[in-house]
Amino acid sequence: MSKGEFAIIGTGEVPCGQYPERTEFEIAYEVARLAIKDAGIDKNEIGAVLSAQHIMGSEYNTEAVFGRLPEAIGAKGCKITCMTSSGGASSFSIRKTAEGILHSGETDTVLVIHAQRFSQFTMNEMARYFAVAGSDEEWDVPYGMTYNSLAAMITQGYLAATGTTIEQVAAVSVACRKWACLQPNAMYNKKEITVEKVLSSRMVAWPLTSLMCNVLADGGSAYIMTTAEKARKVCKKPAYILADASEYSHRGITTAKVKDLESLGTFLTPIAMKAYERAGLGPKEMSIFEMYGSYPVVQLILLDSIGICEPGKSGKLVASGATSPGGKYPTTTNGEALSFGHTGTGVGFGLFVEGVRQLQGKAGKAQVPNARFLIENTGGGAFMDCHFTILGNEIPA
Amino acid sequence: MGIKELLNLSDEDVKKPMPKPSKWSRPFWENTKQGKLTLKRCKDCGHIDQPPYLYCTNCMSENSEWIEASGKGKLKAYAINVYMVPFPFWDDMPYVVAMVELAEGVTMISNIVECDHDKLKNGMDLEVVFDDVSPEFTLPKWRPVKR
Repeated sequence: MSKGEFAIIGTGEVPCGQYPERTEFEIAYEVARLAIKDAGIDKNEIGAVLSAQHIMGSEYNTEAVFGRLPEAIGAKGCKITCMTSSGGASSFSIRKTAEGILHSGETDTVLVIHAQRFSQFTMNEMARYFAVAGSDEEWDVPYGMTYNSLAAMITQGYLAATGTTIEQVAAVSVACRKWACLQPNAMYNKKEITVEKVLSSRMVAWPLTSLMCNVLADGGSAYIMTTAEKARKVCKKPAYILADASEYSHRGITTAKVKDLESLGTFLTPIAMKAYERAGLGPKEMSIFEMYGSYPVVQLILLDSIGICEPGKSGKLVASGATSPGGKYPTTTNGEALSFGHTGTGVGFGLFVEGVRQLQGKAGKAQVPNARFLIENTGGGAFMDCHFTILGNEIPA
Repeated sequence: MGIKELLNLSDEDVKKPMPKPSKWSRPFWENTKQGKLTLKRCKDCGHIDQPPYLYCTNCMSENSEWIEASGKGKLKAYAINVYMVPFPFWDDMPYVVAMVELAEGVTMISNIVECDHDKLKNGMDLEVVFDDVSPEFTLPKWRPVKR
């Protein structure tokens, strides 16, 4: 991929939260319609419809791979349809699939869709699924390991190694909530929270309290991706994909490429630096930092790795308000899994779509003034991989 | 009252999940039943894979052996589960889930048992203990080494 070869020209999103009456099909069709409308193109220009996996299965996955979506949307010019999944990293792998299709020349317009409805499942079904989702069934699950305990262990190890305080960890939840309060589609957008409130919420997996854990929610988003050539013709302010860089680490945290929790940054930093280098930009040029943390500690480790502070000092940065609305380093501007809501494979899509809105100047109350370039991150599994992407509303020389 | 009675759950809902061994990991669980912690080591390059796989992840050799581990380890990091755990573990709360680095260099997820939660410290010495969690399975767990 050369710099700025592809661009996003429109996005769509529905409110995130508990909406049991709204099926995942309705979400998919609605976000597609919104994205097409936002892009200002004719639906029949779409040559490929790609969808992300619905977590915990459902008829939706079967229907999507059997070609339901292009038909229901009325994408009469569709030539290719598929589902691409890499869990939480799906927003990245699906975009790479889209790039490949665009690169092939078969079409110049791709529609990407994510939809999730957790509320159709019972508490027991959810508990069973998430008991094993992030953990190894043979080596972790028999010990009562959970996703929350994995994040709690990483938090405990990170705090012990860096001297970061639990108050600074809580400050990530506070900042995410501030951003979510500026988002009409966020699950928790009514009331800000304080560090004290985060710390006094129910302890779940020490040292994590409930307000340091993400909440599963129904939601979805979509976007239209085209070649840069077409984007310039049909869109006033496209968001160009300038560069990516990726690494895979492990299935289980015990076999991570980097052995010590305090040096997780040594795995992430080279990836971020490679992405910057490929874009010909550095952290100073970034207006926004869209980090897929899902838990506060992960956001801290990511912030340690992208060249805006010394490793281990991100807690201080967040507690100072620098990552909050109006701060020097606007971070995770939709509030992410912690406050926008965790939509299964959709957290990365939500963050990506928000980044595009920012660059297109369509981010409403959350708009960062004069946003030009941003760095976005996603990853899946039990922190199995990491992808950094640089986006911009112009292509730097 | 336990979680089963409280929420009127079935036996199946509260049944502890057991390891599901693969062809290449079965000896690990056969050995823990005998009170031995063993690791799969490549006879060609000496690499230890935990979890074990079909062939060596370093050199792809299928020539391997099971070696007995020293049973010594260090606490790398831990969490104390106090809420929102799967139903089979509900009545065990609070319990410690931890990353344990074995003297042999590999790391495992396990429980730290027979310990004062307030006295856990990353880097502390641990020793293996065996917990017969069912007639079929024995899980290696860890406790602080008494000084």
